[in-house]
Amino acid sequence: MNTINKKNSTHSQRNAVSEEHNAVNKERNTAIEVSNLQFSYTKESPPIIDIKAWQVSQGEHVFLSGPSGSGKSTLLNLLCGTLTPTQGDIALLAQPFSTLSNRQRDKFRARSIGVVFQQFNLIPYLSVAQNINAAVYFASTNVSKTASDAKLRHLLDKLQLPSHVLHAKADALSIGQQQRVAIARALINDPQLLIVDEPTSALDTDARDSFMSLLKDVAGESTMIFVSHDKAMESYFDRHCSMSELSPSTNHLKTRGDEAPKAQERA
Amino acid sequence: MLSTIAIESLKRRKTTAILTLLSITISISLLLCVDIIRTQVKTSFTRTVSGVDLIVGAPSGQLNLLLSSVFNIGTPTKGIEYKSIAALQSNKQVSWLIPLSLGDTHRGFRVVGTTNSFFDHFKYGDMQSLEMAAGSTFTQPLSTVIGADIAKSLGYKVGDKIIISHGLGSVSFNNHDDHPFTISGIVKKTGTPVDKAVYVTLQGLEEAHTGPKHSPTSMLGRKSADKANEHEHEHEHEHEHEHEHEHEHEHEHEHEHDEHTKEHAVYNSEAFTPESVSVVMLGLKHRVTALQLQYQINQSKKEPLMAILPGMALAELWQIMGNVESLLLGLSGLIVICALIGLATMLLATMRERYQEIAVLRTIGAGPFTLLLLIQIEAMLLTIVSAALSLGLVAGLMSALKPWLSSTYGLFLSSPLFGQSSVIIILLILGCTYLVSLFPAVAAYRRGLHAGLNANS
Repeated sequence: MNTINKKNSTHSQRNAVSEEHNAVNKERNTAIEVSNLQFSYTKESPPIIDIKAWQVSQGEHVFLSGPSGSGKSTLLNLLCGTLTPTQGDIALLAQPFSTLSNRQRDKFRARSIGVVFQQFNLIPYLSVAQNINAAVYFASTNVSKTASDAKLRHLLDKLQLPSHVLHAKADALSIGQQQRVAIARALINDPQLLIVDEPTSALDTDARDSFMSLLKDVAGESTMIFVSHDKAMESYFDRHCSMSELSPSTNHLKTRGDEAPKAQERA
Repeated sequence: MLSTIAIESLKRRKTTAILTLLSITISISLLLCVDIIRTQVKTSFTRTVSGVDLIVGAPSGQLNLLLSSVFNIGTPTKGIEYKSIAALQSNKQVSWLIPLSLGDTHRGFRVVGTTNSFFDHFKYGDMQSLEMAAGSTFTQPLSTVIGADIAKSLGYKVGDKIIISHGLGSVSFNNHDDHPFTISGIVKKTGTPVDKAVYVTLQGLEEAHTGPKHSPTSMLGRKSADKANEHEHEHEHEHEHEHEHEHEHEHEHEHEHDEHTKEHAVYNSEAFTPESVSVVMLGLKHRVTALQLQYQINQSKKEPLMAILPGMALAELWQIMGNVESLLLGLSGLIVICALIGLATMLLATMRERYQEIAVLRTIGAGPFTLLLLIQIEAMLLTIVSAALSLGLVAGLMSALKPWLSSTYGLFLSSPLFGQSSVIIILLILGCTYLVSLFPAVAAYRRGLHAGLNANS
């Protein structure tokens, strides 16, 4: 009984903090605004995401954590528009994202969202240049070929990739190089939102640190949602959100033996 | 960009792609071959008899009569007696008459006994008259005019002497050695059986079979034949080694050619009255009377005869061939469909290994419809390349088989090889590719709908 009371009080405290943060965000430009968001894969199944309200300011770098199955990837898919919410709204960069048509969402994603995966970031049979140019093609912006090439070379320089890799097939590169190419591809269209899904899990500590400094450097003013299990990386970011905080009702059972005690400790 | 992705994707799966390409290429080639043979047979046959209104022969079947007389295919019918020919000649409706005597060969090529009226009246293609590439028509009873293909393949020139053999077939043991014919002319290429025929005078042919007749014209023939006999020995030698003594013989040819010209002035091949001929081709003053005359001839009580209208006989031939044509086309079409299903299966089988790239493409902004399009582009690319390869393959094959098709089946390929039906076939195959590729394309589309950030999902 005591435990339940304690948990309720922790949740109410956390909601109060979240509401305060949301109020601050309203004053600044909001990059992501989620309200009453629910998602379930089938009508019969219970929702796996249930977020009352969540906001991320423009330029903010947010660290999102949660155990496997907590709905991190589902949330990222919802933010990207590859999944459609069952209920509720998502506004990205002041666009009512969840009310856009599929085609509009695809176009919006191509132009305004850059994505980096944990692995399999690139199409293996295309060259590095073709992989990156595919992102330019799907964004169908009016950027000239010269400007786009210049931007690409600039990104490669920043990411410390030699220019000859442009002609190499993606699967001929090392994992580290592939990830850097994935960052270049994610940033080629100057997206306002960068979504990075557990990119460091395959890297050792040194490589991870070097990757993070590089990412922070090239991400610049873009809003970034960074997903990882590794809480040690929290220090690189402006804010930390855990899935159990964002979607407490759906993470209640899953996190009882894992996330909840840690959350209590933190509280 | 999509085509680049499609090409690179196919290059990555090159073994399966090449095997699929091969099976589609072979199946399209087969279908095109069937279609080409089908259309070319019709064109080839139709262009051969453009000027002939009626063909008259001994009663047999109208197809047999047509094939043996015009296309030099099959066994010639029994002969028509001279009195019947004379009766036809005197018919008011008849404008011209070409007698044809069939049944002999020269080194596998059919020998046709006729008169100069053949060269004056026979028309082919779009009512074109026969023209001489070299020399002239019959100048004496033992003259022969050969088709362009024979001149080319056997290396004959005007003035050369040839010996004809009794009976059909490329090897004969019954040669008319004592009656060598001198080539007086070579017909310009026509793309019809004329190119593969040896035309000799009716008089010469009859003399070769029965010995000379004692008529003024046959006397002329006898003289020439005697003169020819004098040179026979050296010319037999020439047949063995045709190209060895070209210069030596040039003078002889020139000399003989002069003689031919002199003789041409006096030789009238139509004046000879043969005992019988195999077939007679008729040209009428008014085409509308063809049916009426056909009826008259078929009802003739003097000698049982059969008259056919080439157009109607061909129509009967097409009717018989129609079922075989449809069957062959249907089978070839099914083979193409099988190959295309193989293509769809190949694309569908690779779909699982493409989940990652589908996820990547989705996150960089490709919609599910773009993924559907991408798979269809891959399928279309394979079919387009296959179709192009097939066109090349069939063109090469037909050009290589051209001599064989004309000598064995009397099929003369004329250009353009690929016609409207080939275009329709290729468009239909592309249409089928579109439909069949919908299976893997829809699978990619569906995958695209649910592909999220996690490429492993």
